[in-house]
Amino acid sequence: MSQTVIEVSGLKKQYRSSVGRSRITALDGIDFAVREGELFGLLGPNGAGKTTAVKILLDLTRPTAGEARISGLPAGNPESRRRVGYLPEGHKIPGYLTARQALGIFGKMSGLDDATIKRRSLELLEKLRIAQWIDVRVKKYSKGMTQRLGLAIALLHSPHVLLLDEPTDGVDPVGRREIRDILRAEAAANGTAVLLNSHLLSEIELTCDHVAVLRSGKVAAAGSIEELTRRAAKYKFVPAAPVDDALVGAFRETGAGVERVNGHLLLTVDDVAHLNALVDRLRAGGGLLAELSPVRSTLEDVFVDLVRAVDPGAQPSVEGGAR
Amino acid sequence: MKVLMANIEDVMREAAARWTLVAYFFLSTIFILIFASAINLDIVDGALAGAKLFGKQVEVNGSMSIEKLVMGFESGFSGVLYVLCTFLAIFATAHLVPRMQEKGTIDLYLSRPVSRVKLILSRYTAGLILAGSNVLYLIGSIWVIVAWKTHVFHPRFFLGGGVILFLIATLLAFAFLIGVITSSTAVSIMATYGVFFFGVMLAGHARIEAALSKEWQAAGIKLLYWIMPKTAELATAVVAYVAGPQMHNEFLQIKAAPFISTAIFGLVCLVLASWLFQRKEF
Repeated sequence: MSQTVIEVSGLKKQYRSSVGRSRITALDGIDFAVREGELFGLLGPNGAGKTTAVKILLDLTRPTAGEARISGLPAGNPESRRRVGYLPEGHKIPGYLTARQALGIFGKMSGLDDATIKRRSLELLEKLRIAQWIDVRVKKYSKGMTQRLGLAIALLHSPHVLLLDEPTDGVDPVGRREIRDILRAEAAANGTAVLLNSHLLSEIELTCDHVAVLRSGKVAAAGSIEELTRRAAKYKFVPAAPVDDALVGAFRETGAGVERVNGHLLLTVDDVAHLNALVDRLRAGGGLLAELSPVRSTLEDVFVDLVRAVDPGAQPSVEGGAR
Repeated sequence: MKVLMANIEDVMREAAARWTLVAYFFLSTIFILIFASAINLDIVDGALAGAKLFGKQVEVNGSMSIEKLVMGFESGFSGVLYVLCTFLAIFATAHLVPRMQEKGTIDLYLSRPVSRVKLILSRYTAGLILAGSNVLYLIGSIWVIVAWKTHVFHPRFFLGGGVILFLIATLLAFAFLIGVITSSTAVSIMATYGVFFFGVMLAGHARIEAALSKEWQAAGIKLLYWIMPKTAELATAVVAYVAGPQMHNEFLQIKAAPFISTAIFGLVCLVLASWLFQRKEF
């Protein structure tokens, strides 16, 4: 049985607004856990509290209530970060350093000796395809290269826990696949727990085993991607003859989601029994079914539905789809 | 130790890459070269026959020994170095905290298994090593030039360097405190220079107190005097240390109180900076 390495329970975070005494709730009692070897995605629209949760795990900010633990140690204990690799969003590796120097400095700060730093640096830069840039100053790097170097710094000390904020931001498609492969290999070979925080739902879907969707500081949904995409099962429902509004209304009364699309219906149902009840309803009215096929929901569908469930006018910040 | 070494490497590399180190030592070298070319001594049989400064003849008392002249010169000159070294040091190191606290950079430092107090103190030590190397370079070079031109070796000159470094350590602690609070290099530099001049001004606190009409105002000035670093008194101490006991008089004497109160000021600033950095949310 794999061990839980990241534990978040009842985590709350309120920020005081700079004007007046009002408080803004960034996290409102969230719970989640990541096991070793697991690739866990944290999703949510802007301001949902994803980055705040990661910052609390690293003690960059403190919770108002609740607890966050890494490898059994409270997040406030520096030792909890001994085997943690972190790639922050929009990180700024000092531009005056070369990759070799940056890896050297941050490696020493992580307690590594010179020989290990040298060996791991070359190994990682080779893997991330920037080895030839090892002695070039970071300020000359493209965004994608800086991102790769950031990942190398995060992986340098062979962490047990990887916290990654938009790791593929600015990286080309081939590079994205390589990074995905590296993360999967780390999780499989070393049991590294990966917490991936990204807007790129396709990346999360392709990389992670489990996800938690944050909305307004709460966990709106959590589970494996399979569970989440099954939860909102959709079916293409093609009747032999056009369906009238009365039948559509009757379908909706059962709690089903009904959309008319190019002469057929797109039904969102709770489960198979619910689906069969709708088919029975059609037949009871004398209608015939010409075609019925499942439409697999994507993580993006789930995400958009969850966000719109609270604010129908909301524009979820999604940079990439997973169709 | 690894954390300290990493911070020293980081600070030195940053200073080198941003030309701070080059400018820092270049300015010092210019100063040394001007000094080396300006001073021209004519020594005959171990006695000073004549002296020229910037090509102009300097009146020399016939009874003055070369040792006494060197001592007088170095003690006076240490006062100039006191201001020069301090200002250069603050200018070269005040950015260390604000740059580290920049968004996207601080996350990289704080995600290491290092306590924040250890991180800021390592950075402080690294800054002090950078400043100290410059003090040593300036004082050492001038000492060598004087020794080369006069054949007089006067080691007390280095005592002045110790006092200068003590003041730099105090002011750097204050610059770190302001850096933690404001995350601004400009404000850190301005506030630290302000403290330096305010300290000089408060040396005349007795006269300021006498000129004030209200008792609480006079008490406030006295309190400020005891709180702030004694920059004027330390300048006197630099000269007195270099000159040695035989030159001491009622103006040129070393007292412990300015050192103690300045040390307390620096220590409080450093503790406060560490405490605030520890509590700060990013």
